[in-house]
Amino acid sequence: MKKSTVFSGSGGQGIMSAGIMLAQAAAEIGKSVTYLPEYGPEQRGGSAKCTVIINDDEIISPLIKKCDNLVCLNEQSYKKFCGQLKEGGLLILNSNRVTSTVERTDIKVISLAVDDIAVELGNTKVANIIMLGALAGATGIISPDDLAESIKRKFASKKQAIVDLNLKALEKGLEAAKAVL
Amino acid sequence: MAKVLMKGCEAVAEAAVRAGCRFFAGYPITPQNEIPEYMSSRMPEVGGVFVQGESEVASVSMVYGASAAGVRSMTSSSGPGISLKSEGISYLSSTKLPALIVNVSRGGPGLGSIQPAQCDYYQMTKALGHGGFRLMCFAPATLQEAVDLVYNSFDYAERDRNPVLVLMDGCLGAIMEMVELPEMVEPDRKKTKAWNMSRFPDEKRPGKGLSPVYPEFVLEKENAARGQLLKSWEENDVQVEELFLEDAEYVIVAYGISARVAKEAMLKLREEGFKVGMIRPITLLPFPKKSLRNLDYNRVKGIIDVELAIPAQMHDDIALEVMERAPIYDYGRSGGMLFNDEEAYDAIKKIITGGAQ
Repeated sequence: MKKSTVFSGSGGQGIMSAGIMLAQAAAEIGKSVTYLPEYGPEQRGGSAKCTVIINDDEIISPLIKKCDNLVCLNEQSYKKFCGQLKEGGLLILNSNRVTSTVERTDIKVISLAVDDIAVELGNTKVANIIMLGALAGATGIISPDDLAESIKRKFASKKQAIVDLNLKALEKGLEAAKAVL
Repeated sequence: MAKVLMKGCEAVAEAAVRAGCRFFAGYPITPQNEIPEYMSSRMPEVGGVFVQGESEVASVSMVYGASAAGVRSMTSSSGPGISLKSEGISYLSSTKLPALIVNVSRGGPGLGSIQPAQCDYYQMTKALGHGGFRLMCFAPATLQEAVDLVYNSFDYAERDRNPVLVLMDGCLGAIMEMVELPEMVEPDRKKTKAWNMSRFPDEKRPGKGLSPVYPEFVLEKENAARGQLLKSWEENDVQVEELFLEDAEYVIVAYGISARVAKEAMLKLREEGFKVGMIRPITLLPFPKKSLRNLDYNRVKGIIDVELAIPAQMHDDIALEVMERAPIYDYGRSGGMLFNDEEAYDAIKKIITGGAQ
């Protein structure tokens, strides 16, 4: 089953990292994946978007018009990409930064105050991991266990506290998604 | 070997290292920066040399020197930088030096945009620099194909004693996909020892190619030999993917990322009963002339050239083979704007059902 996810926000919010982590975790369990980043010349603050496609078979076109899941970490990206979400698709948004009211009624919406949750965990950088956890919990495109294993491998060379922080962020995201659904 | 998830530019750089490339000189330009970035740490690990030159002109000239010393050498850039390297590439071809040149193309002309485009087809296949030389040009559509083509490119370059081009668009440079990396080859310096400083391996007389000045009668002879080389590429080295040509009434011609998007559209159209096929050139030079020339034009109603370039640049090469036996339609975006699966589907369907010019 081919499933596409768009991560979006501003440069510095960990958009690309979240996309790569999802792609890597799916690749590690033998799925076909494509990860395609799109960003401007800015290092921070500009628009950041990446598209991850996961499939059992070969992925032909990595360029798609509509996505199954959309993750928005700021207002600008919500406005820009909400229209690209398929009918019946899932929108996960950061309610700390997306100030618009969602007008579409043909999609599922999970609204999380991820910046607040990240601050509670003690590090604002893990907002993207919380979103990733929510995505895994709400969609099943990747199992939370596979994602956790992949994250452990990714941060293997870091201090244990960093690994624990990221796993905790993932768990928080999962819980938040379950609470909403 | 197990597959790994890699970024396009990095996969291509690693493939070159595994093919025995031990010298890289480059200069930054988006969207190929990850190639020199990767090489800057990877080359020292394998006993190779990485140089960030002070300019494109300097870096291609360093490749010229390293290749003359018998080292498998590479440079990379994007359209505007390739323009600057063109003088050096002409010199490489003139002095019969092998090298790999990768172009990760972006929107143009001029400084253009940093987003992906395919507007360097003319540049790469017709007149990269002065003097009328030609180079083999490979255009991968997937990362695995890019890795495999880059890995084999040095063999072609050394066989022909001519630089080889690999043309990727910015999408393929930035995308991450699973790739199986080939075996590491240790460079055989006996085979490539001093291409030009002493003699060519298959010639008894010392080579004199390092001097870029030839007597006129030698230059003519060399150019004639290059003409023969061009013919032999067309006979022996064409690589092309052909899909559904046995029943196709409309044939899409597309390469690189455009071919992948168009293929998705083609498969959807075929599900709806439209007899659409595809010719995907893997070598842009030599161009797969026979694939187009030998189509059954009693059945084929139209050729659809799909490119990230406006005006479409492959159109002329297609037209030379179609010879007015079917209309040729162009579809594409330009300047760094992309098309996606559904847009390509809509555009191709419109052409087939007669709604397009």
